[in-house]
Amino acid sequence: MIPSKRIEIFCGTGGVGKTTLATSRALKLAQSGKKVLLITIDPAKRLKQILGLEKAEEGQVIQLSNEVFGPNSDNISALLMSPKATLQRMANLSGAGEGLDNPIINILTRPYGGMNEIMAIIEVQYQLSTNSFDSIVLDTPPGKHFIDFLESTQKIYQFFDKSFVDIFKYLGKKFTNENEKVKTGLLSLLVQTGVKKLLKYLGKVTGEDFVDEFIDAISGLYRNRMAFTDALAFQEHLKKPEESNWFLVTSVDQQKVSEASGLRSGAQKFMHKDSYLVVNKSLTPYLNAWQPDGSNPSLVKLRDSMKERENAIKGMATEGYKEVLFFPEVLGTEPKSHVNELAQSWS
Amino acid sequence: MKVDTTNYLSLPFILSNKEPRLIVITGKGGVGKTTLAMAITKALESQGKKVLYNCFDQPLNTNLSKNLELPHFLLNMEDSAKEYIAKKLGSETIAGWILKTPFFSSLFNMLPGLGHMILLGHIINKVEEDPELTIILDSPSSGHALTMFESPQNFKEMFRSGLIVEDIKRMEDFIFNNEHMKVIIAALPTEMALQEAEDLELALRERKVKDIIHIVNDLLKICPSLENATDEELPEFLKKKIAMEETLLKELDSSWRLIPHYTHNNPASTVKECALLLAKDMHDSQ
Repeated sequence: MIPSKRIEIFCGTGGVGKTTLATSRALKLAQSGKKVLLITIDPAKRLKQILGLEKAEEGQVIQLSNEVFGPNSDNISALLMSPKATLQRMANLSGAGEGLDNPIINILTRPYGGMNEIMAIIEVQYQLSTNSFDSIVLDTPPGKHFIDFLESTQKIYQFFDKSFVDIFKYLGKKFTNENEKVKTGLLSLLVQTGVKKLLKYLGKVTGEDFVDEFIDAISGLYRNRMAFTDALAFQEHLKKPEESNWFLVTSVDQQKVSEASGLRSGAQKFMHKDSYLVVNKSLTPYLNAWQPDGSNPSLVKLRDSMKERENAIKGMATEGYKEVLFFPEVLGTEPKSHVNELAQSWS
Repeated sequence: MKVDTTNYLSLPFILSNKEPRLIVITGKGGVGKTTLAMAITKALESQGKKVLYNCFDQPLNTNLSKNLELPHFLLNMEDSAKEYIAKKLGSETIAGWILKTPFFSSLFNMLPGLGHMILLGHIINKVEEDPELTIILDSPSSGHALTMFESPQNFKEMFRSGLIVEDIKRMEDFIFNNEHMKVIIAALPTEMALQEAEDLELALRERKVKDIIHIVNDLLKICPSLENATDEELPEFLKKKIAMEETLLKELDSSWRLIPHYTHNNPASTVKECALLLAKDMHDSQ
């Protein structure tokens, strides 16, 4: 079997079977005795459906029972990301939680408030730091949102670095302890008036109340910035082959070859030598066994077109991957049996 | 094999009752949203309609778009934001300056919902400015589509009053009054995709989106290449796949519309054939 690492990250375009494959990997590792945490960042939360956790609370680490996938499935714990729960935990840890109880932050951390990718980075880093699991299997959001997820650390860095210098120069009086970075001089003076102006314009197009709440939200985030900046460490884990395995998932039932390549180049600066290309839903074994006698030309056409699709994926640039893994299409409708069958295909 | 064509997705069905001005295509990742959105665009164009395709915050498949001579427009979040702010403050210079401040640009990065709202607002403006125009929006998949539809409400609550809130209210009028916008939720014949479609529809209805239709894409059961095939001719795995489709379709009511699996490896041909199927009943009824 492919040796497991602390982080096992699954990425790919939508609908290729990331969640199911990530779950099957978690099951395979659990069956070999590893303690695994399975995390999904996709806001669609199909993991709930696969694990039969429809009623489970989001944001909690839930240990599976052996009824889910049979023996050793209790080695798996699952976490359905919830921005609100992550925020709550941040507040508890920092001791500056009251700053996060702000109308703006509360709205943005709703399940569809749009903060999922950034909060996910913080959550994953926290779970890593607890050292409670041998491996964390990470099911990431589809396509471009995966790149957003990867780049979150960079965005966090920029936000707390660049914009906070601006903001605290302006808000200096209110945050006397925080403005060590303030430098005098003409340039900073310009920036200083800049932010003041910016907030004045902001007040023009939004309500005045908003500006006050906004300043409070910003200061709340700043007082909890350690949680955000700690998340930068996650990026370093992803870049190290001894810490992580990368699985780029693609599937043959879609014409997504170019999108998969695009995704790969987006993640290039993070991916390392232990990267695997996973080709899911392969029909090759079935197609090879199918020999239409030629009396019905449209059947021959169908078979050939299906074969061509498979070959297009196989012809995809595979250099740079440690290995290309093929997973057969599972003919069955029940998600749990899919996971069980796929787990057997991990070698 | 008997093919039931009564439940195919068709243009007359999409355009029935009120003609929607903004047609949003969403659903689980990989269900064929882009192919369907492009096919609807081409089908409407073939009927002489003024129509434009837009892929929201995702990159355009430029090869495919060129191949199809697809009428489309692209939006860029920063340009849209700048245009909006310039309009509100009456100055392009100030708008440009605001967007260049590190604070604003990094805030944008931290709050993707804000960008979603600005893009959606831009699209709605475009439709409202030109009464002849229909826009086909190839929307993000389920979760991110909800973020998009929820963004006006979220930011309205945040801003509470002021110029932006007035504009958000206009956006919401457009989205929720059931006159101009239609949402098409696409699924594949798999349990996961159908479940996600149902969850998404429920979530959209909770958010007061009313005009929603749902479709199952990529059905082998009605694949043109299998039209004349007998059961004996089919290999075991195809029979199994078709049987699975039938099991799943039995659970669905007749409001679901169907799209067949097409035997093409060239995406442009798939879009074209799908567009022909969509427009077919238009010719029949003329």
